Amino acid sequence: MIKDITIGQFFPGDTLLHRTDPRFKIIILITFLTSVLAAKSTVAFMAVLCSTLILLVLSEINLRILLKSVKPLLFILIFTAVINLFFVKGESMLLHWHFIKIYKEGIVNAVMMVLRLVCLVVGTSVLLSYTTSPLDMTDGLERVLSPLKYIKVPVHEFSMMMTIALRFIPTLVEETDKIISAQKARGVSFDTGGLLKRVRALIPILIPLFYSAIRRAYELAEAMECRLYRGGEGRTRMKVPHVKGSDYIFLFVMLAVCVGIFLLNSYEVPFI
Amino acid sequence: MARETVRPTVTEYIRRLKNKLMFIEAKNLVFSYKEDAPPVIDGMELKIEKGTFTAIIGHNGSGKSTLAKLLCGLLIPTGGSVTVDGMPTNDEKMQYDIRKKCGMVFQNPDNQIVASVVEEDVAFAPENLGVPPAEIRHRVNSVLKAVGMEEYAKHSTYKLSGGQKQRVAIAGILAMEPECIFFDEATAMLDPAGQRDIIASMKMLNREKAMTVVAITHHMNEAVEADRVIVLNHGKIYADGTPLQVFSDVENILRAKLSVPQVTELFYMLENNGCRCGTDVLHTMEAAERIEKLFK
Ligand SMILES: Nc1ncnc2c1ncn2[C@@H]1O[C@H](COP(=O)(O)OP(=O)(O)OP(=O)(O)O)[C@@H](O)[C@H]1O
Ligand SMILES: [Mg+2]
Repeated sequence: MIKDITIGQFFPGDTLLHRTDPRFKIIILITFLTSVLAAKSTVAFMAVLCSTLILLVLSEINLRILLKSVKPLLFILIFTAVINLFFVKGESMLLHWHFIKIYKEGIVNAVMMVLRLVCLVVGTSVLLSYTTSPLDMTDGLERVLSPLKYIKVPVHEFSMMMTIALRFIPTLVEETDKIISAQKARGVSFDTGGLLKRVRALIPILIPLFYSAIRRAYELAEAMECRLYRGGEGRTRMKVPHVKGSDYIFLFVMLAVCVGIFLLNSYEVPFI
Repeated sequence: MARETVRPTVTEYIRRLKNKLMFIEAKNLVFSYKEDAPPVIDGMELKIEKGTFTAIIGHNGSGKSTLAKLLCGLLIPTGGSVTVDGMPTNDEKMQYDIRKKCGMVFQNPDNQIVASVVEEDVAFAPENLGVPPAEIRHRVNSVLKAVGMEEYAKHSTYKLSGGQKQRVAIAGILAMEPECIFFDEATAMLDPAGQRDIIASMKMLNREKAMTVVAITHHMNEAVEADRVIVLNHGKIYADGTPLQVFSDVENILRAKLSVPQVTELFYMLENNGCRCGTDVLHTMEAAERIEKLFK
């Protein structure tokens, strides 16, 4: 049951988005998110929607998978929509029933807010999490953040931690499953009784899990020492990212879009 | 005149040369995990020569893994000393150089795989060494080929079977190109064919690359392949010699709660039942020949 959890849902493929250098993707993503948040006028907003759609098409990600990623946000989306719908006041009232007043601006705002959130989530998924392998991602992050080394931010250690976490999450998930089965075989029940009883039933899972995780950590540290690990200093990497022309073009286009959206902010679609 | 007197005699010269070739040397080695606990390794004298293939056997808990970790400097002796290629392991400054020379494949492959992709994991040690990227790529490819895992280079390490993980772990150490490798029950999870493959590659490393190999094992047919077998019992060396010397003293081995290779056991039984055939047989083909002779 726990096995269904997937971390870093990466869908291998060979599209422009997959091929782009992770470092560039991180910067492109930041540019994209900036433009999504900066779009205020309806025209600018249309441009944002268009660029999201283009990214989506470029990634060749299945729409059903994408909907799944938006689903957990459904509650927030509805909440945002309702708040905007009922509480934004404007000039042209469309509906007045008892204390409920709905304005045209409210509807526009609600739609924009919801779409903006969807664009943020879709953009991040499509640009980064769905098209970048977790390893490339941590690697890219390490390289993008590497200037922070000079102000004593432990960038390498952070990325090593991420790499190891990614490596051990499936192992620990599997172990949890095993422990749960073992405890069930001993007659522990996890889904009966009141809240307190259920929480208490977790103890026989957590203690063996922590014990084994600590033992694993100890052995892993020993193995890493044996394999000559001593931090990021003097370390080389097997995969040297080589920047391609397409990476620069992609980044340039995205920057242009961002600037364009800032410029478009002063235009409104006449009828809305 | 003075030069004449310091020139060593031939025997002295050979002794010095031998000492130089001595790779790992343990003197009066004592080790215990906790201060008040009884020592796991209890006063051990051991020398391992450069370029030899040594097997260590002993029952569960006899201290094999502990000894291996002591010999490659991962554990620091609580008494006595260990030197690797002349460098004492308790010298903090030497530790990195010692680790460069001695690689170790651990008992549990799950906890020694660092990265989530096979080739990334194999590249870990050379990356730490600061080897240039093209050279790392070359090493990774050739090492994965050597352990028969080249098709799995891009696979996720988590989905591999136990035996495949063990092969990746071995590849990870080979990529480091150490002078000496300790295999701590590295074949325990492999099927018979996989076990034969790994033993063959251990022998190849030893013969062709002149690598010093120390293999800890519970499989007697693996120990037989070594140049030298060391039997541990209660933290002490119980027997030490060529496989033939060690295993032909069958009673002695049985007393240490160990077994001997199957053919040796067969000849031991024959001998006990009044057949004068000796117990100095280790390999099946040898046994067949000996039996053939008996019947003539
Ligand atoms: N980290 C540790 N802390 C405390 N005691 C330990 C530790 N590791 C091993 N021991 C103890 O040291 C003794 C020898 O253990 P060791 O792992 O060296 O045996 P082994 O010969 O490798 O056994 P096996 O054949 O099962 O691998 C055992 O009694 C064990 O309980
Ligand atoms: Mg052991």
